[in-house]
Amino acid sequence: MPTIEPVFATAALVTLGAGALVVSLRNPVHAAISMLVAFLGLAVIYLKLGAPFLAAMHVLVYTGAILVLFLFVIMLLNLKPHELGVEYPLKTRLGLAVLCGGLFALIALPLLQDHRELPRQAPAAFGTVESVGTALFNEYALAFELISVLIMVAVFAGVLLAKRKL
Amino acid sequence: MISHYLIVSAALFSIGAFGVLARRNLLIILMSVEIMLNGVNVALLAFARLYGNTHGQIFVLMVMGVAAAEVSVGLAILISVFRNRKTVDTGDLKSLQG
Repeated sequence: MPTIEPVFATAALVTLGAGALVVSLRNPVHAAISMLVAFLGLAVIYLKLGAPFLAAMHVLVYTGAILVLFLFVIMLLNLKPHELGVEYPLKTRLGLAVLCGGLFALIALPLLQDHRELPRQAPAAFGTVESVGTALFNEYALAFELISVLIMVAVFAGVLLAKRKL
Repeated sequence: MISHYLIVSAALFSIGAFGVLARRNLLIILMSVEIMLNGVNVALLAFARLYGNTHGQIFVLMVMGVAAAEVSVGLAILISVFRNRKTVDTGDLKSLQG
């Protein structure tokens, strides 16, 4: 059995535990706070993978924008406990849990045969702003522009949908 | 070991899939979609690290951009649904049911 690095193991356990809390907690505010913990654990995993720029972007985009947007909407809706809706009966949820466990087993069991080690040292320019920026603005310039159009459209759609009367 | 990262990625994806299937609160469903996208990001970054290739990181950035767009539209739809129907329970939204 190969050893697991303690930092990675801790980050992975925290992330998965917080992720499980997100899908099981009833109160959306508690779920959002668990999602914050999961995102911070993921940032540690990104750092372990030698991508400090992506870890910073992850914290900026997910906790800085997406999570704040979620909390904003939760506060805006101001749901009372009876407005949270009725969940499926326990039997259905257990069945679905088994189904998703099966999905996990389907993906994870073949991975146990995979003994490839990650290179001990990432290439010198692996996760730096410079290398990511060079690739982004040369080979992937078109994709970058298209993403900016997509986000622009999403902003318009958000305003249009959420506005009470135009 | 790359398989450790991929197993974490698969577990995150499965947790998110469970949330999408088993919960009826629209807010939680959107959060679960975010968890699934993050699981995919971990796998992309692990493979980028395995092959020492920066380009995998561009894909992660693109997924982040799509996730931001998706969540802004999703939450806007959620707000207008709540305004019109006074509910965030997907079980109550069955006006298209035959």
